[in-house]
Amino acid sequence: MSTRRESRSSVVSTDALGARFDGATGVSLFRGLALSGILLLTASYITVLREITITVGGTRSLYLIALVMLAAATVLARTIRPRVALAVGVGIGALGYWYYLTATGHDLGALLSQFDSFLSDTVTLATGMTLYQMIEVNVWALGFVPAPVFLSWYLAMRKRYTLAVIPGGLALLFLVLTTDATTGVTLVGVVGGITAVGFGELDHRDGSVAQADVLAIMFAVIVFLSMTVTLVPGGAASPTVLVEDEPTTLDGAVDGDPDRSTISGSVDLSPEVHFTVVSDEPSYWRTGIYDRYTGDSWVRSGPEGAYDDTGLDSPPGEPQTNRQTITLQTDTNVLPVAPQPTAVDGELTDSLEVTDHGQPMPTERLIEGDTYNVESAIVDADPAELNEAGTDYDEDIEAYYLQTPEDLSEDFEARTADIVEEAGAETPYEKAAAIEQYFQSEYEYSLDVDRPDGNVANDFLLEMDEGYCVYFATAMTQMLRAEEVPARYVTGYTSGQQVDDNEHVVRGLDAHAWVEVYFPEHGWVAFEPTPSGERDAEHTDRLEDAREDGEDGIDIEESEDVPADGIDDERETIPNESEDLLDDLVDGNESTDNDSAQPGPGGEAGDEQELGPERGDGIGSDGLGDLDGDDPGDETDSDGESAAIPVAPGDILVGLAVFIGLAAGAHRSGVPALVGREVRRYWHGRRVDPVTDVERAFDRLEYVLARRHRPRRRGESPRQYLEAIDRFGSLDPRVERVIEIHERAHYGGDVDRAAADEAIDLVSEIAREQAPLVGRFFE
Amino acid sequence: MTDANPSPRPGQLGSIDPLPIGTVAELTDEITDNVTRVIVGHDEAVEHVVTTILARGHVLLDDVPGVGKTMLARSIARSIDCSFRRVQFTPDLLPSDITGVNVFNQKTREFEFQAGPIFANIVLGDEINRAPPKTQSALLEAMEERQVTVDGDTRPLPDPFVVIATQNAVEPNRTYELPFAEIDRFMKKLTLGYPTPEEESEMLGRTVGHHPIESLEAVTDLESIVRARETVANVAVEPPIRQYASELANYTRDHAIIGASPRGTIALLRAAQARAVLDGREYVIPDDVQYEATQVLGHRIKVGTDTAADDGTTVAQDALERVRIP
Repeated sequence: MSTRRESRSSVVSTDALGARFDGATGVSLFRGLALSGILLLTASYITVLREITITVGGTRSLYLIALVMLAAATVLARTIRPRVALAVGVGIGALGYWYYLTATGHDLGALLSQFDSFLSDTVTLATGMTLYQMIEVNVWALGFVPAPVFLSWYLAMRKRYTLAVIPGGLALLFLVLTTDATTGVTLVGVVGGITAVGFGELDHRDGSVAQADVLAIMFAVIVFLSMTVTLVPGGAASPTVLVEDEPTTLDGAVDGDPDRSTISGSVDLSPEVHFTVVSDEPSYWRTGIYDRYTGDSWVRSGPEGAYDDTGLDSPPGEPQTNRQTITLQTDTNVLPVAPQPTAVDGELTDSLEVTDHGQPMPTERLIEGDTYNVESAIVDADPAELNEAGTDYDEDIEAYYLQTPEDLSEDFEARTADIVEEAGAETPYEKAAAIEQYFQSEYEYSLDVDRPDGNVANDFLLEMDEGYCVYFATAMTQMLRAEEVPARYVTGYTSGQQVDDNEHVVRGLDAHAWVEVYFPEHGWVAFEPTPSGERDAEHTDRLEDAREDGEDGIDIEESEDVPADGIDDERETIPNESEDLLDDLVDGNESTDNDSAQPGPGGEAGDEQELGPERGDGIGSDGLGDLDGDDPGDETDSDGESAAIPVAPGDILVGLAVFIGLAAGAHRSGVPALVGREVRRYWHGRRVDPVTDVERAFDRLEYVLARRHRPRRRGESPRQYLEAIDRFGSLDPRVERVIEIHERAHYGGDVDRAAADEAIDLVSEIAREQAPLVGRFFE
Repeated sequence: MTDANPSPRPGQLGSIDPLPIGTVAELTDEITDNVTRVIVGHDEAVEHVVTTILARGHVLLDDVPGVGKTMLARSIARSIDCSFRRVQFTPDLLPSDITGVNVFNQKTREFEFQAGPIFANIVLGDEINRAPPKTQSALLEAMEERQVTVDGDTRPLPDPFVVIATQNAVEPNRTYELPFAEIDRFMKKLTLGYPTPEEESEMLGRTVGHHPIESLEAVTDLESIVRARETVANVAVEPPIRQYASELANYTRDHAIIGASPRGTIALLRAAQARAVLDGREYVIPDDVQYEATQVLGHRIKVGTDTAADDGTTVAQDALERVRIP
């Protein structure tokens, strides 16, 4: 999209070339271009907000507010003075904030009393939390939009183009920091801003077309750089393309990011062992729960709290307990647990968070060999009970789990209603069973799919006939919500390869996504829309191939001699799949798992799948995908245009616009957190006592070294770390000196001011030399 | 070498004048060099034994027969000018054979205490696992209490008092394995292992004629050792290190049937202090703790048959890898 815009700009400037001799036309043309630049910038952040409102509702209001603001600014530009306009703009912003507060249940008094929490929320957002995770994000979006639209258009109408870029630029920058603005949209915004500033300047000075050419070249350079230059030398140097990177393995696709699970196209299967489980009962291992659907991804909204503070809720009733011990065989940032977890025990509980949805998540990356115990409740209700559960949902449940995007078509709802009706389903349970059965019998399993451009659930139901778990689970969740049944999309792993009575080995190819449906008085029950027979076959084949090829990391001691499909005649390894009547006939073992679920609702061929009762469900969210190294969100592979971007002389605002673009290029890479560390890297901050200063200097040094080599491992002392990175090349004696001072301060408890200052200076020196550009001045 | 207790009982706590750290480091080097004239290829083990002595611990050498366990202990004892006794443990050895007995003196018509071999600065308990538990415990009690009680009279042992015990790893059915509670009293358990072919040929060259241990001279005296021990005891152990040690111990407790005891944690930090001194430092750093941890903690950890780790040493190594260094 931005490419198109950009080429249009070039074309226009060529037109301007033709108008060289017509000064008057040139000038008004420049004004038109500058104004369209502002519009482009405005459009860019409204596009971001629109994506939000499409997900959660309110798109029409958004357009309306924007149009009203444009009109108001056009009119007022002729009548009020800039200062008044600024006051109006600030007033509108305040009004937006007030609107947000009242809509979220705070009274007017909160305006002042909660200003600090408003600020801290804003900071949280600006350090990388996507807006989608806010609960009342639609209200927020509507409150956010008027002020920048009004101010920038007002200033543009008054020919203050450079100033006009500021409010719009700030709005866009904020959305970049929250990671909601994609690279493409940001680029459009930046090009718009530069257009406005550049042509605005030409408009003011009656500029010549030659200068316009310079602008065009600048655009080209910026676009080119943004697509090719990577920010971090030595990071995964894949150039940013306007289409964002997608995970290429199933586990990466399912578990790439803890807060947001993006639906990908074709994926591969990774046979690498991810973890092993010893458990009372086989189960799905859940790693993530997502509630908000944007049309092409699932987002986890709502806050999270420390595990020690919040603990985990138990489902209602007195469910049976399933205890598991999970040992990770690879590094990860998700915490697989059998649903529904009620307690986690192990050394890592200090660094656990629990999401609003009841899924524990680690706050730091877990490493191979970490072990923890989980106690889970098995929600074990039979269909008759679930049928009678009724629809008396809590407000919270309705608020979280009934959301559908605005662009879900009427055909989708009609088709869903047809399917439900054909099956004669009336209660929520029957509806869920009917939809599940529909997918199992009518669809094929395939890992090779083209991702639809629009709403994935929509297209999957109406136009496709094959896909993999992500598609099935997405579509089923949305269909249930269309039928007013609270449902959520969960990710994790199937039970894996059974290697012993109660031991399972779980691999990347076991990554999975399925559906949980809420029943009052029972809690969340898992459903499995993915056709299991084909899935198993494909996944087993992949493992067998990998074994034949002798790939590394696909087996551990216990699993080496076990056939790829698990221990003979114990089909339990793949719990939930298949509970078709047909499957049950073919494979008698399976039915033992499902007895309780057998009597099908509405006579639906008796096959609900209800993984819930028998095997709970799975896992959490994020991170395993990282292992495959193709996760765009990885800190190390930030992309973007960092290196020398030409700065138009004399215009600081161009610099601002470029800065926004820069941030955009890296927006997927956890840059906001990075920025904080970046700053600390070069700037020590206020000096306190020597010991603290040395420790802080050492932290900075570690960060610098981690960037250049690798991070220090958990059980590695500074000296060992130094020795290890020494192998990469000649060791800097200053590093040794800092580590010596740090040892003295931290472990010897004794360091004087002079040594502390020396450490700080050395680290600052090292950090500066590492800086990509500035460093040259220090060499 | 005299067999009684020649060393003057050291004065009150704190009245000992510690040696400078550099001197202690030199001293250890001298002892190590001296010992390696006899013992080929076990430099690390020699250093471990010397640090154990400086850290006020006892050491257990566990290996197959004939790799030089006894020779190592004797060479170290000879390098220090102090009293040294060797006790060969056999199945019929009695506790009084170690501690000593009261003998009736016909001339004076009084009972006189005939001190046992345990009254020495360095006691070598050879093949300790051959004696029955009753006898083993006589030695082990002395190790902990640093005194023995015979017929109601409590007699202090000389200071320093170091037990170097050896046990054979073969023929386990004809031996009495040390109970877990008693093995805990050894600061370190070391294995020597076979020498490499080069080392072995070097060793053969030295020993086939006259055994070099016969000509081994003492390189230091008791007073220096006592003062060096004071130096080690004064090495700073700051809160991050204490926290690290206890987290390591905690890890072993969570990942084995029996993990490292608090006594083990104390021993670990003492050994780390000695290691720091060897490196010329007056404070302990995590590297010291890591260097000592497998030898100090390994034998205190009992693993079950169903655990992933093979033995205590593996658990200790895992702990080093997984526990974050504060």
